[in-house]
Parts: sequence; C-alpha cells; structure tokens
Amino acid sequence: MSDQRIFTRYRASEIRTDLQNIDIKKLKSSATKRKNALKKIIANISLGNYGEMLELLPEILSFWQIEDDFEVKRICHEYARSLGSIKPKITDDILPFVLQDLKSRNEHLQIMALRTLVFIPSASFTNEAFKFIISMVNRRNASEELTKTALFALIQLDDLNHNKVTDLFNIIHDTIQQRSDNPSIQVAALHTLYAIHEKHTDMKPLQITVESCFDLVERLSELNEWDKGLLLEALTTAVVPQTHADSYDLIDIVLPQLQHVNTFVVLNTFKFVIYLLNYVDSVSENIVKRLSNSIIALLNKAPELQFLVLRNVILLLLSREKPLLDLDVSYFFVEFNDPIYIKDTKLECLYLLANQDTLSQILEELEQYATDIDIQMSRKAIRAIGNLAVKLDENAATDCFNLLLHLLEFGVDYVVQEIISVFRNILRKYPDKFRSSIREIVKYTDAVQEPESKNAMIWIVTQYADFLPDYITVFEKLNSSFMEDPLEVQFSILNSSIKLFMKFPTPETKQLSGDVLRTCVDMVNNPDLRARALMYQRLIQLANSQYGPYAALDNSLHEIVDSNLPLIELNSKLDPLVLEELALNISSVTSVYLKPTSQIFRLNRTKFLPQSPVLLADKNKLTINDGPSFSRDRADSKAKSLPKRTPTMSDYDKPAEKVNQLRGKMKSSSSSPSKLVRKPSMLMKRLSMKRPF
Amino acid sequence: MSSSIFILDETLEPIICKNIRALPNLPSLVTKFQELYRSNGVSPLPILNDIDWQFLHIKRDSLVFLSVVENNSRCNLLGVFTYLEEFYKLLKDYLHVGILNRNLLIDNFLVVIELIDESLDFGVVQFTDSSLIKDYVRVKVNLPELNPDVASIPDEESASDDDEDIKRKHKHKHKSKHKKKSKATKLLEKENLQEALRKNKAKVVDSIKENILNEERWRFGGTDEEINDDEDINDRYMNSYIAKTTIMPISWRTKGIHYGKNEFFLDVIEKVEYFMDFKSGVIRKNLIHGEIICRSYLSGMPKLKISINKILKQDVQFLSNVKFHQCVSLDSIRARSNPPAVEEDGKKKNEEADTLGNKGEIEFIPPDGEFLLCKYELKRHVKDQPMIKLRNFEIIPKLHKFKIKIHVIIETHFKTTNSTSKLNLRIPITNLFQSYRIDLSKQPKFKCEQGTVLFNLSDKFLLWEVGTMNGGHGENTLSMMAEFALFNEEEYKKMEEERKTSMNPPPLREGPKLEELYKKIHEEGDSDEVSTRKKNESLLTMDFEVPYCTCSGLKIEYLKIEEDQLQYQSFPWVRYKTISDDEYAFAV
Repeated sequence: MSDQRIFTRYRASEIRTDLQNIDIKKLKSSATKRKNALKKIIANISLGNYGEMLELLPEILSFWQIEDDFEVKRICHEYARSLGSIKPKITDDILPFVLQDLKSRNEHLQIMALRTLVFIPSASFTNEAFKFIISMVNRRNASEELTKTALFALIQLDDLNHNKVTDLFNIIHDTIQQRSDNPSIQVAALHTLYAIHEKHTDMKPLQITVESCFDLVERLSELNEWDKGLLLEALTTAVVPQTHADSYDLIDIVLPQLQHVNTFVVLNTFKFVIYLLNYVDSVSENIVKRLSNSIIALLNKAPELQFLVLRNVILLLLSREKPLLDLDVSYFFVEFNDPIYIKDTKLECLYLLANQDTLSQILEELEQYATDIDIQMSRKAIRAIGNLAVKLDENAATDCFNLLLHLLEFGVDYVVQEIISVFRNILRKYPDKFRSSIREIVKYTDAVQEPESKNAMIWIVTQYADFLPDYITVFEKLNSSFMEDPLEVQFSILNSSIKLFMKFPTPETKQLSGDVLRTCVDMVNNPDLRARALMYQRLIQLANSQYGPYAALDNSLHEIVDSNLPLIELNSKLDPLVLEELALNISSVTSVYLKPTSQIFRLNRTKFLPQSPVLLADKNKLTINDGPSFSRDRADSKAKSLPKRTPTMSDYDKPAEKVNQLRGKMKSSSSSPSKLVRKPSMLMKRLSMKRPF
Repeated sequence: MSSSIFILDETLEPIICKNIRALPNLPSLVTKFQELYRSNGVSPLPILNDIDWQFLHIKRDSLVFLSVVENNSRCNLLGVFTYLEEFYKLLKDYLHVGILNRNLLIDNFLVVIELIDESLDFGVVQFTDSSLIKDYVRVKVNLPELNPDVASIPDEESASDDDEDIKRKHKHKHKSKHKKKSKATKLLEKENLQEALRKNKAKVVDSIKENILNEERWRFGGTDEEINDDEDINDRYMNSYIAKTTIMPISWRTKGIHYGKNEFFLDVIEKVEYFMDFKSGVIRKNLIHGEIICRSYLSGMPKLKISINKILKQDVQFLSNVKFHQCVSLDSIRARSNPPAVEEDGKKKNEEADTLGNKGEIEFIPPDGEFLLCKYELKRHVKDQPMIKLRNFEIIPKLHKFKIKIHVIIETHFKTTNSTSKLNLRIPITNLFQSYRIDLSKQPKFKCEQGTVLFNLSDKFLLWEVGTMNGGHGENTLSMMAEFALFNEEEYKKMEEERKTSMNPPPLREGPKLEELYKKIHEEGDSDEVSTRKKNESLLTMDFEVPYCTCSGLKIEYLKIEEDQLQYQSFPWVRYKTISDDEYAFAV
C-alpha cells in the first residue's frame, strides 16, 4: 500500500469525517482506518498545514483519552509537540493528558510524556517538568532510562529557567561521582553539566576530579559508542591532570578507542589525547604513529566527514613547529572524483606538509593538477606551486620555478595568466635569482588579459626593464587598451610609467609617462586615478623646476616612486594562543574556519588550558621518543599512581576481575567486557597470577 | 547538538521535518537553506552558515539530510555529521532497501519520525544500531508490493496483518516474527541459503513458544534482572528487557533472542584497489580495503571467539589499521597492538597470553542480525603482484592493409586452486578513435581465448567478459584481439565513382550500421560530458570477483561460539572473497 494519498493537504473537515465514520463493531478494520486518518494529520503538519490541523484538537484529545495503542499515543504526542511550539494557546488543554501519561507505569510512555513537557515552551509545562524531575530525583528509584532522559531534558530546560537548573547541580554532581551500576547515567549527567557550563559564560568551566575521571574512563568499554564520544568530549578541559603519571595513565586507557569504527568516538579520543599531551613532557613515537594512523583511516569516510577531518588535520599541522602527526603526503593527493571543497582542503594540506624531502613528490602531483581539465583546480594548483616557492628555501624555489616555466609552454590561456601572477610573488621573494628567465616570461605579454595577471606582467616588465632592451615596445603593448582596462590595471600602468621614467630618463620614457599622465588627467573619470596622476605631475614639475628637465634622478623622488619593496613572506602560522584554543575545539565549528571562537561567536566562552603543575608551557618542548620507552614510562607511572588512589566503598562490591590492583596488565589479557560470563576456573587463574613486577 | 532535522528531496523540498528544540518557524529555515545551497554552486560545502544557523547537510541517494544547529551552541559538528551518516544507514537497514527514495520515505514517514525520536534524546544521540532500534520502533514497514522477498513468504505476512492488535500486546511474539522476516529477506538474497530458510520457517511457531518459555524461565531463575511482579501480564511483555538494553553494559544486544537453528555467518570481503600507469610501469596505488561482515542468528547471549591469523602473527600494519565494531572489547587486542620492541617484555606478554589461553583472538558478544565486525586498510608493497595483471596492451596499426589491431593479454596472480567467478575488462578505445579514422562501415572483428567481447559504441569501450579464469602465478594467461578497419580513401573514392557511373544499386549490407549509430550518438550532447569522461578515456579497468581467497592472506583460524546457559549446537560459516574496488585500473 502506498501512503501517497496520506501525504497530501487535507482540510480539517475531511479528516474529521474520516475519524467519525469509524464503525465501532468492526474492530480490526476500524483500527487501521483510524490510524490512517491520524497519520494524515501528522503528514499535514509536516507539510506545514498548521491552521487546518489546529482545528482537529478536540478529536485528538478524545483519542488521547481512550486509546492505549502505542502508535496512536505517539501520534498524539507528536501532534502536541509540533503544534504546541507554534500555538502555545492550545497547550493548556493538552497538559492534563500529558501529565496522565507521565504518571503511567509504562516507562516508555513516561519518557514520551516528559519529552513533550519539555518540548512545549510554556510556563505551566516547564513547571510540571521540573516538578517531575525533582520528585524523580528524590525518589531515587526511577528507571535508568528515564533518569537519562531527564538529565538530557535539563539541558533544554536550562534555556527556559537557568536558576532552577542550577539548584539541581549538586544532585547532578553526585550522580557523576556515585559509582552506579550504569556508567551511561554518569555520562549523561556529565554531558548535561558540560553543556550547561558551556552555554553560560559567567559560570566557571566545568571541573571534575581526577579520581572520578579515572572511574569514568575505566568503564569506557561498558558504554555504547555515542556515550563514549560524549564522555571524551566532556572530559577535555574538564579534567586537569595533576601529575605526568595521570596524563600517561589516561592516554593509555583511552588510546584503544582510536580504533573505534565510529568517527565521532575517534575524533573525540583524538581531541582528548591531544589535550592531555599538554600535560606531559615527552611522548613516545608509538602514540604519534597511532594518532596518525587513526587520522588516515578517517580519510576513507564519506566526503563530508573527510572534510571535517582534513580541516582538523590542517589545524594540527599548523599548531606545532614539529607536527605531532606523521603523515605521508600521498594520502592527501587529490582524487578526480573528490568534491571541490575536499580538493581545496587537500591542496592546503599538501602545501603545509611540503618540505625538502617531500617537495619533488608534491610538485609532481601538482603538475598533474595544473594540467587538469578542471579550470578551478588547475589554477589552484599553480597558485599552490607559487606559494611553495615562496614558503620554502632557494633550492625549492628553483624547482618550483622550473616547473612553472615548463607549464608555461602549454600555452593554455588560463594557465598562463595564473602563472604570470604567481611569478610576481616569486620574483619579489628572490629578486635576483631568476633574471635569466625574464625574457621567457615577457613573451607572453599578449596572453595576459585578467587584471591580476596583467598587473603582474606590468610590474615584472617595469622592475626588470634593465634586462629588456625593448621594454618600451612591450610596455606600449600593455598600455594599448588603457581606457578599457579595469581601474586597478590603470593604476599600475600609471605607477609603472612614472617608475620607468625615473629609471631611464630618456625622451622615450618621458614621452610615455607624459602620455599616460595626460590621459589620466584629461580623460579618466575616476577621481582617485586623476588625483594620483596630478600628484605625479606636480612631483615631476617640482623636480624639473629645481634640477632641470631630466632631473628625475633626484633621490627623494626615487624613493617616493620606486623605493625598495618589503620582502614578502607567507604567514602560515597562527597565534599560539589561538591555536591552543582551536586544538581544544577539534571537530567544532571553530576548527573548520580556523578562527578563534570569539571571532565567530562573540558571546561564547573561549576555552583555555587549565593550569596545572605539569602544564607544559612551551609546546615545542614536547619531545618525541624514538623507542617504545613509553611502555616503560607507563609501568613507572602506574606504580606511582596506583597507591595514591584510595579505594572507595563501592569498589569492594565489584567483581574480582575489576579489582584495581590487577588493572592494566590484566586488561591486556582479559578481553571480556561483560560481567555476564565468569567461570570460576578463569577467575582462579586471574587471581593467582603474579604481577610481573 | 542539532536543533532540527530535515530530510529533503532532490528539489530541496522537505519530506520529513523534525523539530528537536522547539524552534518556532521551521519552514523559514528550509527556505534559508535552499537559498544558501543554491547560491553555492555544484558542490556546496557541507557546512553552510547563516547569521544564526549552521546548516549541516549530506547528500545520499538523491536525498539531502539536513541538520540545523544554532550558531551559538558550541556543538560538535563531527557528531552531527556522524549521526546523519549513521541515520541514513539506519533508515536503509530499517526499510530493507539499498537505495532510499522520496516515495519510500513518504510511505513510511511515521517510521522515520519515530526513528529520529528514538535515536535522539533532546538532540543528544542515543543509539543508531538498527537491530536495537527495531525493538523500539515496530511500525510495520510499508514497502512496495513488488518486493519479491516479501511476496515469497505470504503466509507469515497475512498472519501478521490479521491480528495486529493482539500482537502489539505481545511484543515479544511480534518481535520474533519481525526478526524472522528481516532475516528471511536477507537470506533470500543468497540463493544458496534458501534451504536453511525453509527449515527455519517450519520452526517459527515452535520458536515463539520456546521463546516465551525461555523468558519465563530466566525471569524466575532470577539471573541479573529485577523482577517486576506487580505489573500485569501485558505490561510485563511491553516493559521487559528491551527497554533496558540501551543502557546496559552490552548495549548492542537484547536479551531473550531465540532462533531455532543457531547460525553465524562470517564473510571476509577484500576490495583491491590498484592503479598502474602501464606505459611507464609505475604503480600508483596498491591497496586492500577489507571488511569482515557478520550475520548472527544466535540465541541468548553467545560469546564468540575468533582468531585471525593477522592478529596472531602480530602483523603491525594490520593491527594499526583495523577498526572494530563496538562490541569488540578493544582492550583485548591492546596488548598486541602495542608491539613490544623490548624483547623481554614481549616474551612476558606472550607467556601471559599463553597462560590465559588467549592467543591473539578477539572475543565478543555479537549484536543480532547483520553487522560489520571490522574494517581494515592495508597497503601492499609495490612489488606485490596484483590479483589480475595486464601483461600486454598493444595497438598495432597495419596501415598498408588499412587495419588496426588491439591486442590485450592478462595474467592471474593467485592460488591455482581458485578461480574468478566474474571477470570483466573495459578496454578504452577513445584514443584510438581520436588518433585514427576508423571506418565503422566495415564490421570490426573480435577474437578472444575465453568469454565474449562486446563493443560499446556510445561510451567507446570494448567490454571483454571473461567469466571464469583460473588462478596462477603469471603462467596462466588469456589474450584478446580486436580488429578495426581504417578509412581507405582510395577505395572510398573508387566506390563513389563506380556508384555514380553504374546503374547497380549500392551493395546490400547486413548487420547494424555502426557508423550511423556512432554519428547519432556522438553528434549531440557530446561536449557537456567531456570533462567527466576525459579521465576514464585511457583507463583499462577490471571488475572481478574471486571467491574463497583473500588477497592479504587473512584467515580466520577458528571461530568458537559459546553460550553457557543454553548450550546449543551452532553452525558457524566462514567465507572469503576478493573483489575489485571501484578503482582497479591500468592507464594505457
């Protein structure tokens, strides 16, 4: 059966007749009919037909009362939620029914009712929701799932009534600390606190003790995938390790999660580890390898996820002098079927990854892109080559330059244009290195059309006129369409003609600059351009009156017109403070735009690394050990940290396999996460095991 | 997290809207998104933002899944994207289809809304495991009647239609049917398993009874669960273990699952990605994407032990590139994934492992139904031979005869005992058409040692369907030859001349007039697809499937199923398969 006819706009009266026509005697068929009619209501709400559907409120209420079918209940609640948020007036009629459901013994129904209560933004509803939650807390025997829903509900209720929620904070804190049977409740509580703290800038950042953090982290394997992710997200910045050993312990416990299949978990683990690495002084190569591997594995996901991951990779590459990740460039080579945004981001990664060793590989790849059929892509690739030449040292620049010259021979229009623009940057960085090739470049004077490349060409010709015997003809060619050129080109022609005159005060150049000045003054409409032309004119007149007709050699004039340009540098480093903040925000909006939170959302809290005796002040001091000495570190740290933790009461009723003294080494060998199967014989073995040291 | 979730169709019209944080004006959000989306070109960024909103969207199967997030909430974007992705998978799983479309969603919009409702709790993701959520949302899925799978089990279908009301109260009963059905659908896809299905169907009724009995037994045996005596019988079925599953330590499996025949299917599927520049002999890519897909139809809470030779041998590359399903305790492989470089240390660990009888195996309680146990990515050495290699590709022009030949030889590199079940080659001839004037009025000739050769005129390639090819180590080869006629100007002129002068009608021709077809296809609309086609023009791609063999040499050493309480006999099935990935190509 197709529901196509359900999914069309109906009038309220039509549905009403549908509902009334139901024959009570034929139970079965009427049930389906009724359900169909109700479905139509919901379908119409999704279609935005609110006005008509509002009229059906009495019918819905009557069904609400008599029906105990779960599906119908669900429809009723859905109706209440959708219309309640639009027309708060109707809500008062609904309230008693919702409360009735809330009192039901069916946990499912209770959850549904609670959600509806929280969902409708009306004071009476909110009050009831609070009342329910508080009474539930006081009874302390509510089912776990209901507790969980209630905890999440608090996040939403916080928007409506912050003070009431803060009153409950103590209870939530207790929930986190209590070692309940069910860690997912603890996680829910932690997440609620975290979310509320994040929302209010006037509150102090959430802090939990290292002990309770260990409690939570140790039970990671008992959590479901999403809870794992939430936990790790909240723990970042919430827990402050007080000793190096703490951090090492935590890292070691969460590290296996990097191999989780869910991207959310992986990236949050990643974030947590990166955060913890601020509180250690050395890190083993093994960890670096695992972090890198997990990132690479993420690059096989769907493009949207890939995009986020790549943005974060950029961030991490930027963040330290010596990057924490050890990534092979070939993973960032562009595939032809990647969406554009992925291609862009990959290019950016390639640019950041480039160094002496990888340059040849990257250039080879970029050359391919430059000849790509996709115009945008090939332009970007050429741009990237140019940027690489500026970023790296002289040898690399030579390689890049040669490649560009080679590409120039293709002679495709846009490639040439882009290359000329890029050449200008390279020549500015290395003014003397590539003189021999100037003649080669200037051959393409006719090809340049776009403003940027034309500007670049004009600049190159003027700057290197010494090497061009026929610079006048070349320049005139560029000058030929002066009146049609865009403004920026006109400016640069004006500047350059004066510059030429300064450099070579010959009759030809005088003639040339004079012509340009005259055109600018007499024929151009743009006041800025005219004003500048007038300024030049006066300058020259002034100089002439003092030193005679060709006295443009005067130094001060030279300085104004043709002074030395500052060296260009590509600044790819961000402010360390900003970077620190971004690293704490991996996988959020900020890390995508690579801008600090304060710039994107003014009202949000900026994250920072909490102080701790072991906080590593200078990130670059973090050393990476070659050997696997980490495992030895671990052993030491474990020995130190273990006695410190005082066992709590609740530890004693844990099954033997969970006894803390056997942690670590035991975990590695006992793989069962469950408490379900516990053979006595196995237990004996475990208990009689002597620790190796 | 998300403030509202939308599913839009191709034209960006909303099909499903789900308000999560009581936003006042949903339709205006959609319009905003439409504007942003359209103004951003062919492939807009997955994150679009407005002053107040972030629009996160993914496009799958012509549907756009959109999540709107308030700008000032510091939300974990990755979480949202992962959720959308998982939700898409969940929908597909739930509706038993490979591809979603607009009508399917409209037919089942209530299900979709409920699924969103259950998987998100105030925007916080709860769970997205389809086998679990099936216990919560049990609205009957409304599929098109044509579906052969459903039609083939009519008796069950009609039964469940008739007394739906009664069943809804007995959730468990209903559930087991549900499961059977879903199982049945899956099984049906595999022809070789149909036998098993028939046996199962006969046991359906028994199993339901048993199921209820079992449950009773556990309940009063008082294992882990509390007993809610005071509730009446209806409520008890409704409010049983299921509700608690999501928050139990083992969140991926409900209690009280029962099957008449306990089976576990494990498929190791490796996709080989290979790219070689044939002219220069440079290998650009040589990768394996492996997956272990399981289908579990086991009763109770079984514990599985699987030993994989790669873990056993502590293959470093494998261990660092493998991702496991959440049911696998990651701690169990941790010891091995940190390969101990210090010799002593390593020994100790091994000894330890030995004493516990835990020799590099993974141990887990599987979820019910189909799931992805693990996924791994292996890089192969450049010198490792590909499964099927192109040995020779030549274009031999014979200009004096006005003919041109293409000669292709392939060879295999896998165990001789295995053979491909499918092998197709696409041989590009675009370049040939560009550089020579091919005369299609004369029939091209094809010859091959095995299989058939087809000529695709519109996309310009030859399809060589080889079918079965035995394995070997380079000695087993197959070759193919194609011959095209070149345009012979002299002859053509002579013919023209003759035709002008003679009274005879032009000679009768048999077979399709290829040159006319060719002209027809390539005259119109050729230019717009140039860019997309350009890349494939010089790629010889292969498409193959080799059963009973893994390219990486991965092997399941053993697979043990233990259920302490039920002690049933179980049937584990393990299969291997190597197939070509999307990119298995030689640039020629």
